[in-house]
Amino acid sequence: MHLPSAVRIGLVVVLSVTIVWIGTVALFFMSTSGVIRNNRPLPKQIVALVTLLEQAAPAERELILRAVTSQYMTARLAPGNHVGITPKQERVPRISARIVDQYLAALGGRPNSVTVRREPDGKGGLGFTFATPVDLEIRVQLATGDTLIVDSLRYPVVSLFGVPVGFVAGLTGAVLGLIALFALQREVAFNRLQVRLSHLVRARIAMIGGISHDVRTFLTRLRLRVDRIPDEEERDRAAADIADMIRLLDDAVLASRAGARELAQELVDFAQVVLAEVDDRRAAGKPVELQAADVPKGNTTVLGDRLALRRVISNLFDNALIYGKVARVSIKSDSQSVTLLVDDEGPGIPPDQREQILEPFVRIEDSRSRRTGGAGLGLAVARSLVEAQDGTISITQAPSGGARFAVRLPLFVAS
Amino acid sequence: MIKVMTDAAATILIVEDDAVIRRLVGDVLRNEGFVVEAAEDAVEMDAILAKTRPELVILDVMLPGEDGLSICRRLYAQERCPILILSAKSDEIDRVAGLETGADDYLVKPFGPRELIARVRAMLRRGARIPAPIVRRFSVGTLTVDLDARQVLDQRNEPVILTSTEFDLLACFIHRPRRVLTRDQIGKWTRGRVPDPLDRSIDMIVSRLRRKLDRASPGANLISTVRNGGYLLTAHVTPAC
Repeated sequence: MHLPSAVRIGLVVVLSVTIVWIGTVALFFMSTSGVIRNNRPLPKQIVALVTLLEQAAPAERELILRAVTSQYMTARLAPGNHVGITPKQERVPRISARIVDQYLAALGGRPNSVTVRREPDGKGGLGFTFATPVDLEIRVQLATGDTLIVDSLRYPVVSLFGVPVGFVAGLTGAVLGLIALFALQREVAFNRLQVRLSHLVRARIAMIGGISHDVRTFLTRLRLRVDRIPDEEERDRAAADIADMIRLLDDAVLASRAGARELAQELVDFAQVVLAEVDDRRAAGKPVELQAADVPKGNTTVLGDRLALRRVISNLFDNALIYGKVARVSIKSDSQSVTLLVDDEGPGIPPDQREQILEPFVRIEDSRSRRTGGAGLGLAVARSLVEAQDGTISITQAPSGGARFAVRLPLFVAS
Repeated sequence: MIKVMTDAAATILIVEDDAVIRRLVGDVLRNEGFVVEAAEDAVEMDAILAKTRPELVILDVMLPGEDGLSICRRLYAQERCPILILSAKSDEIDRVAGLETGADDYLVKPFGPRELIARVRAMLRRGARIPAPIVRRFSVGTLTVDLDARQVLDQRNEPVILTSTEFDLLACFIHRPRRVLTRDQIGKWTRGRVPDPLDRSIDMIVSRLRRKLDRASPGANLISTVRNGGYLLTAHVTPAC
């Protein structure tokens, strides 16, 4: 997926801000639950309560119990012995029981147990005993024969799937933070990759440009020497071969630049470029037809590379003249695009071969292409040049039965 | 072989770095009866120009050291002889035939001897031209821009006030009209360096210039934004008197 770098950087920023926000919320929750954890009834408190209850008159016991009952703790008395067994495998009750034991030792020791309080339906309880408070039930056998049952209630945090929201927020923040870090790192790596790729592409274009320049120098020497060939026909053929080589070279350079999106972007009057190309062909005596009525009066300005557009038009004319004897040209335009139609009078191209013929090195009929020569790059080059300029090229059937090549380019809209 | 004697005495200077092409072009011209001087770079050319005054200069664009277009501009300012440019790339033609170079004609490599001779004769027939001053005043839409006076006038000849950086930017657009310029290109041409990817200062100058131009010629939409981060001057730029 390719997003403009501004969008990518924006996403990273939004993500980071979200993380900071979630982090702050998490911090808030974590600090609050920290306070609550300390609100668990202190062993000293339990010892004091035990002492008080044992010394008080039975009538006052109810008052004492009410005095210590709060949001975080309830205490009640049950007659008889109800001390349970502290589970050895659960960490919080085990530690709590040890501490309670130590304190109760000051009173000469009392049988006690600490368990995790279960909900009637068995839910809750356990969970994240390390990070969050749990409900504990502390039972102490009093000297009076009753059992003191203290429920230490955790702070009623809003919970999500049994886990406090603060914890969820913290975890989400951490995960998002990691993702953002990863994205940023990827972003940096991606940018580096892009820079390297563009260096590579530029180096390749520079190399092709260098080769093109040197070959051109050799061909210039050759072209000047060709005129010393005494036989006129041979001389003209040699000159034509050199011209073909140059055209191929120009096509290769243009196609490599188009592939790298390095074509020039300039405002070009497309109809005028077509007209100039038609005039050139007519001046050379080629059967290229264009009726004045087939040229739109209105705006045909496109944003493209003038040289590349000329190569496209020229390649289509060549193709029509070689395979279809004549090139019938017309230009159409609407509010959004301008279309060049090139019809010929050849046998046409079967529908199943139309897509294929625009691929490199594909020629329809071997015998014919051998006669006309070339590796069949012309239409492939035309297609890559058109597509690099946001246009489309398509093949249909001309009214005359020959092939119709249509090149459609978007009109330039000022913004 | 009968030579056309009218041109016989004409001296032609070839500036071309490739020795073989230099010799071959020289042979072609000598065969036609011209006097040929040859130089491989700007330094040799200057040495020859100090001794002789050629009737025509044939100039290669891609030269080591001072390049052909720069030489062309220099010769145009000093000499009266016509200049024929040899270009290796057909896409350079626009630049060659463009503003400020002063070339009279061009040939794209490779060229045939007959084509070369035809161009040379035609240019010599036209003879020493009256040097037209290099145009530095342009019409851009309804505005007139004077690059020397660094002044912009609107339709009613009222000056449009631009800052120095805004004017440099406008000049950059005027030299390359109707062509998309990327932020990097604009930075390179106006400040001599490619701007940092996050540096938005060029976009800010462009938008300021754009606002001022829109005020000076409402509705003309002279500067347009193109997706993928480029700007272009949509108006045709023509020399103004």
